[in-house]
Amino acid sequence: MKNRTVRTAALGAACAALLASAACGSGFDDDKAAAPAQQSSGPAELQILIGSSGDAETTAVKDAAAAWAQKSGSKATVTPAQDLAQQLGQAFAGDNPPDVFYVDASRFADYASVGALEPYADKLSGASDFYPSLRTTFTYDGKFYCAPKDFSTLALVINDDLWAKAGLGEGDVPTTWDQLKAVSEKLKAKGVTPLAIGDTRDRVGAFLVQAGGWITSPDGKQATADTPENLKALQYVQSLLKDKLAQFPSQLDAGWGGEAFGKGKAVMTIEGNWIKGALKADFPDVKYSVHELPAGPKGKGTLSFTNCWGISSKSKYKQQAIDFVEAMTTVDQQMAFAKAFGVMPSRQSAKDAYTKEFPADGPFVNGADYAQGPVNAPKMDSVLADFDTGIQKLTSSDPKALLERLQKNTQAALG
Amino acid sequence: MKRRDPRSLASTFAGYFVLVFFALVFLYPFVIQVANSFKTEPDAAANALSPIPHPFTTSGYEKVFLNTDLPLWLGNSVLVTILVTAGRVLLCSMAGYALARIRFRGRKALFSAVIGVMAVPPVVLFVPKFLVLNQFGLYDSYTALILPLIVDAAGVFIMKQFFESVPVSVEEAARIDGAGVWRTFWSVVLPMARPALITLTIISFQGSWNEFAHTLVAVQSPELFTLPRGIADLVSGSLGKGTQYPLKLGAAVLATIPVAVIFVVFQRYFVRGANEGAEKG
Amino acid sequence: MADTAPARATRPGPRLSAAVRENIAGWLFVAPVVVILGLFMLLPILMAMWVSLTDWNGQGSPFRSGVPFVGTENYTRLFTEDGLARQDFMTSVRNNFYYVAIVVPAQTVLALGLALIVNARMLKGKTFFRAAFFFPSVTSSVAISVVFLFIFANSGAVTSLLKLFGIDGPQWFSDSRGVLHLLLGGLGLVDPADPPAALTDGGPFGLSWWEWLSGPSVAMCTIIMLVVWTTSGTFMLMFLAALQDIPVTLEEAGMLDGAGRWQRFRHITLPLLKPTLFLVLTLGLIATWQVFDQVYVMSQGNPAKTTLTPAFLSYQTAFRSFEYGSGTAISFVLFAIIVVLALVQRWIMRDRDPARRTRRS
Repeated sequence: MKNRTVRTAALGAACAALLASAACGSGFDDDKAAAPAQQSSGPAELQILIGSSGDAETTAVKDAAAAWAQKSGSKATVTPAQDLAQQLGQAFAGDNPPDVFYVDASRFADYASVGALEPYADKLSGASDFYPSLRTTFTYDGKFYCAPKDFSTLALVINDDLWAKAGLGEGDVPTTWDQLKAVSEKLKAKGVTPLAIGDTRDRVGAFLVQAGGWITSPDGKQATADTPENLKALQYVQSLLKDKLAQFPSQLDAGWGGEAFGKGKAVMTIEGNWIKGALKADFPDVKYSVHELPAGPKGKGTLSFTNCWGISSKSKYKQQAIDFVEAMTTVDQQMAFAKAFGVMPSRQSAKDAYTKEFPADGPFVNGADYAQGPVNAPKMDSVLADFDTGIQKLTSSDPKALLERLQKNTQAALG
Repeated sequence: MKRRDPRSLASTFAGYFVLVFFALVFLYPFVIQVANSFKTEPDAAANALSPIPHPFTTSGYEKVFLNTDLPLWLGNSVLVTILVTAGRVLLCSMAGYALARIRFRGRKALFSAVIGVMAVPPVVLFVPKFLVLNQFGLYDSYTALILPLIVDAAGVFIMKQFFESVPVSVEEAARIDGAGVWRTFWSVVLPMARPALITLTIISFQGSWNEFAHTLVAVQSPELFTLPRGIADLVSGSLGKGTQYPLKLGAAVLATIPVAVIFVVFQRYFVRGANEGAEKG
Repeated sequence: MADTAPARATRPGPRLSAAVRENIAGWLFVAPVVVILGLFMLLPILMAMWVSLTDWNGQGSPFRSGVPFVGTENYTRLFTEDGLARQDFMTSVRNNFYYVAIVVPAQTVLALGLALIVNARMLKGKTFFRAAFFFPSVTSSVAISVVFLFIFANSGAVTSLLKLFGIDGPQWFSDSRGVLHLLLGGLGLVDPADPPAALTDGGPFGLSWWEWLSGPSVAMCTIIMLVVWTTSGTFMLMFLAALQDIPVTLEEAGMLDGAGRWQRFRHITLPLLKPTLFLVLTLGLIATWQVFDQVYVMSQGNPAKTTLTPAFLSYQTAFRSFEYGSGTAISFVLFAIIVVLALVQRWIMRDRDPARRTRRS
């Protein structure tokens, strides 16, 4: 009996100590959510987190930030993230997010809907100069939140040497689904893998667009996954995969399509303009050419990808951060980035300069006219990740069931 | 007993065969790891199985040191390991001693609580630990990296078991000489506990050097990465980085070497640690 | 703290009784441990219990007034609501179940086998072999995962080894096909490309029977092999310690009785090893439900979610999708699974206890 009282007392004491120490912690203050004090003038110390595509991009952004810092007398620290979504998520929860960071278009709605982003983009000079489709991508609840950094589209990249070796010429470049299949069969007969294609909606999704379908309606409010158009697209991709006319990069021992392509494990790949920088850095000897994606039953279609320069709603230096973004999105700076790591400027006024500088990039630039942007709705990330899972199993599963599942999940997420 | 009839000869032979086979299975991956870290990338891709690099190159290691933040990770790992190990050894032996020898109120309850804490699977604490660190404003700091690891319930348990095996007479002699509790503990009992202390030091060292999951929820700035965290990010790396196996394997070799050295030198303490850790179950 | 506190305790307190002094000294000695364990073990659990009842999205403190309270919805969603959350959770449970079902028996049998051979009296070089088998378990799980990623790469060591024997190995990490499906297909019982409607049409918890019956995927098998390889050494040491406790006289008595090797093992050694066997099984069971590091480094739940485990899913849900409530709820369900299984084990052990005691005395 006595033993029990002692035990209870001890436990009580331990708990009291715990509660006391917890209450002493600063963390339980309610006012943490209040707006931080602003230091809108004078030198700032900006933390900039980027999701870099590689060393070329990191260096270019660091140089640009250093130039801005020198001119403005502020400090700007650029950190490349290994996993941007995760690092940002933990930073938001940790109440200590970076001042400026890349926001991927597919995650934009998530961040905007929880109030993590400062809606500043309309304050920029020449805000209407950004491509309208990109402005829409970064608009939430009628507010244009953040400035598009640049954009990329998908195109068909062909290894010229392997192409010629298989006895194919320029006239053989496929422009329709049927031609793509026909030429792939010829290549396969020569014992090479015709096409390397990433196993996510970010590559396979282009076929949906070519067939005239997409996951959501244009306004992003309705789920349109289980349409006959989408089914046709997946059935086509499935037939390519089943006949080994197309393979996923992991099947070719590569991390992504560009790597499989660079190593010569596939003659063609479907990638965006970032492949140029990667090939130059890792596989400088590969000769290649870029073509628009083959048209589907409903014409041409591709996907566009973009990031914006997000500014944290919790930043102490919002004014300086906007000034920084302003400097990063001038036509000259965007051209410098384009040269350094192969992205396309998000300002329409830079288009001419870009096509002059990179005439071979015509297929990528042309894609802007018929490209489909990412799904712009919050809570869609896990739904789309689930769709990716389905795509990975496409060879052994029923496309119709896959689309029905996507439809159901999308409806649930859109509410 | 020593007679060698043909049957026992055959079974001896079979025994060695099995032993050597499994020794190969258990050690050859390390041979592959070291060998391929000295290969060129095409060579590693083409002849992964071969133990001899052809041509021999240290470019994987050069890249690891020059193109990644590995020196920084190494520094952080050393710092974290030293502090965590020192903290665990001191704090666990203090608590273990108190639980074994000092008759204070509530020690039985406390000991049950320690056992209870040991039973909570670390993975379950994953998100919760982040919440607490975050709430106290410690998230993303060295404190977050070190403090939660500095005490280990299993260590307390091991030390308590040991101190219980030390004869009481030794302490009593010291007490009669007028030494206080701390003096008795520090200059009389602790020196006798050398074997247990070495065991605890070694399992703490190994545990904190290899710790990965905790760093994932404690820090996010690359300046605070330890070696396992850095390597994990290197491997799940971003677009366009390529496979670069010699580099990654080189980094993995560097993470393995300290533990391997300690293992070879202090093998018997490792063995003891494994068995004492088991008794907690 | 460590320096000042005990000094105060040992000061010859003017009129404190010995009992009070012991109390103070004792609590001061354990204070650091109590505070830190409390702060980083107990408090997190309490906080997480709160968060698991909310819809906190990771913005600011979860204790602000604006955080929506959702009751047990984060839990019920995992079991009763037809949706992605349940599907993912049940998939992870399925994956981990197959993982446990293979790893635990495999590592136990391997560990026992190795211990028996290493313990055999006529063999030399015991120390070396013991060290060799044990070494993988002391190395970093991250470093080892990198090595296995390389070994199982499509052009890697295992594939070239299999080629030596004329076998065309699978593409390990991108192969999401379930082993049981492959087996059923191989035996000609079911066509994996077109499974019977009876299996695909329905099933418990949002997965069809066919999905439940997949077995571990080929990719999961690499993680299984890795873990069996790393943990067997530790368990071998435990068996070894127990084997060395068995009196030689018992074995010799068995020999004199003319018992064969298998009979001696079956009737003398194995019964004496039972406590250790149950210990190894329990520890294995607890550890295997927590697999995380290897999944994080090697597969991140891919391909096709077949290496997703509850531990990784909880991490992913909280930190990648910002659904901290759901993420913590998954941790607590995982905790419950582990506790229940440990209790079941314990119950089985208790059943054997009287027998053990009589033999020991």
